Amino acid sequence: MLSTRDLVAGYDERTVLDGLDLDLPTDAFTVIVGPNACGKSTLLRTMARLLTPRRGTVLLDGTAIRDLPTREVARRLGVLPQSPLVPEGVTVADLVGRGRQPHQRWWRQWSSEDGAAVDQAMALADVTDLANRPVDSLSGGQRQRVWIAMTLAQDTDALLLDEPTTFLDLAHQVEVLDLLHRLRSERGRTVVAVLHDLNQAARYADHLVAMRAGTVVAAGAPREILTADLVRDVFGLACVVVPCPVTGAPLVVPAYTGGPAAPPAGAPGGPVVVSAGAGDPSSSTASVPDARPPTGDAANPLTGSYPSKGL
Amino acid sequence: MTTTNRSAGPAGVVRAGLPGRTLLRVGPISLLIRRRAVLVAAVLTVLLLLAVVLSLSLGTPYVAPADVLRSLSGAGTPYDLVVFDLRLPRVVLAAVAGAAFGVAGTLIQSVARNPLASPDVIGITQGAGLAATIALTSGMAAVLVAPTALVGGLLAAVLLFALGARHGLAAQRFVLAGVAVAFGFRALTEVVMLTADPIDGLRAQIWLIGTLAGKGWTEAAWIAGTLLVLLPVLAWAGWALNSTALDDDTARGVGLRPVARRIGLAGTGVLIAAMVTAQVGAVDFVALVAPQVARRLVRAERPPLVCAALLGALLLVLADLAGRRLLAPTQLPAGVLTAAIGGPYLIFLLLRGRRRSS
Repeated sequence: MLSTRDLVAGYDERTVLDGLDLDLPTDAFTVIVGPNACGKSTLLRTMARLLTPRRGTVLLDGTAIRDLPTREVARRLGVLPQSPLVPEGVTVADLVGRGRQPHQRWWRQWSSEDGAAVDQAMALADVTDLANRPVDSLSGGQRQRVWIAMTLAQDTDALLLDEPTTFLDLAHQVEVLDLLHRLRSERGRTVVAVLHDLNQAARYADHLVAMRAGTVVAAGAPREILTADLVRDVFGLACVVVPCPVTGAPLVVPAYTGGPAAPPAGAPGGPVVVSAGAGDPSSSTASVPDARPPTGDAANPLTGSYPSKGL
Repeated sequence: MTTTNRSAGPAGVVRAGLPGRTLLRVGPISLLIRRRAVLVAAVLTVLLLLAVVLSLSLGTPYVAPADVLRSLSGAGTPYDLVVFDLRLPRVVLAAVAGAAFGVAGTLIQSVARNPLASPDVIGITQGAGLAATIALTSGMAAVLVAPTALVGGLLAAVLLFALGARHGLAAQRFVLAGVAVAFGFRALTEVVMLTADPIDGLRAQIWLIGTLAGKGWTEAAWIAGTLLVLLPVLAWAGWALNSTALDDDTARGVGLRPVARRIGLAGTGVLIAAMVTAQVGAVDFVALVAPQVARRLVRAERPPLVCAALLGALLLVLADLAGRRLLAPTQLPAGVLTAAIGGPYLIFLLLRGRRRSS
């Protein structure tokens, strides 16, 4: 569905992505993770043609996206930017209706398909009851659902979302992620999201892309690629990866780093001295208990991490 | 929320699936219209017609409204000369210029995302003013003043776009560039004014305030012609204005080209502003007030184009009438009156402390 070829992109003087090749699977929920400033948002924005690459191409179903008219792209690819500006006084139904823009012209401002798509999008995102409320009077969680409804009204095969859960409380984060999951599983949409929370990424993603410093470190199913080594490589954080007691997906628990509560004796992951910058390996002694890869042993939830090889 | 799969025929009016909207269908054209805007437009039209009749009737000599209507219907009355030749041209000019200011203000404010933006905030008025001042103080023929002022206004517009386009004509940048252009041209105007003959300086001063005295069909025709030529663009603008509230990323996401759109809308706005200012001078408080009052009347999130035009026409007809009659036989320039109405309104806006353009 979406791929990049030799993609170079950045802002002003700064090059963020330098020759990135990536293929995102169709009909999957892909989550891009990585530390701050690793280029995950830049990648998403470039794929969504919100940012023009300096070199290389973004391919949408095999066609270079810059060769397609922007309206045509908007009928195939929906985008939710990181923190959209909420227009003052616009009602929910009105804003969701703006998602129909690529299907409209000034002389054909509304059709029955528009009405049906808006109703369906509002029902899916569970904002139908809010239809007549001004968006700026809603809570953060409601607003985010309205924005998602707007991109759903676009009726595209693929959806790109830049940190759709940021600024939401945990319950609302789960609500939004459940909605994205349903879009993929029930409607067959391709969903691509940038997320900050690794555990949510592992729980919801079919395909996980881990980035660091503008490059893709690993890509694949979370249960296959999400390991303590990967987290250390990508975030510079020592951790323990255990199977999630609810879903069995990998669960990342940061190792003990000298915080307020000392871990109980013999607990995995602690004590560990972490120097995130990884200067002198001899000064950082990471003593994570020996264990097998997380993919195997779900019966023993506390053994799912690789031995650390030092930072 | 009800579904909208109503199959109206080739022409018809149906309630669209959006709150407060109605779909107007004529053949292949389907326009989404706010029901409240239709109501407000109807009321404003009636008020405008009343104001026109009143304006044709008041003055020396007084013509009874019944006689005004009889004259207008071509029945032939002793008042034909007064109504047709003396008053009608000026009233029509007031209506047309007011409408043009309303349209220009709506476009400029929407792009600037700022209810205080108007042609004299972004320098168009000052550009026209400088050119007009030069024309009036250098003994140029009277017929050349308006064309010269138009060139000045367009020059200011070019400068504004050159300064503002760098960052895609983003709202903040657009207003800042405009303020800079306005200050520059105003300073130059003062220089010209101070070095000119005092009598010429006074004439320039009156021009700058803006007056409809001694003007009529010619000026009205220029303004109406501009609006007519731009009608297809304005039809598009009425729709395009809906999305100026979206930020650029969101707008691109739904397949719009926000920068091109802003350039189109702002370009149309300054073109109209330059033309109308060149014809009648700086009466542009109308451009500031009409869009915002119309927006509140319609209860929309952005100024409605047609209602703003009607309200602008109404305001300027009334301002010109008041200017003619308040201190009669002394005539106050319409610009003084619009400023007198607009000033308190501006204070009202500021006191309300709206959190707009954040």
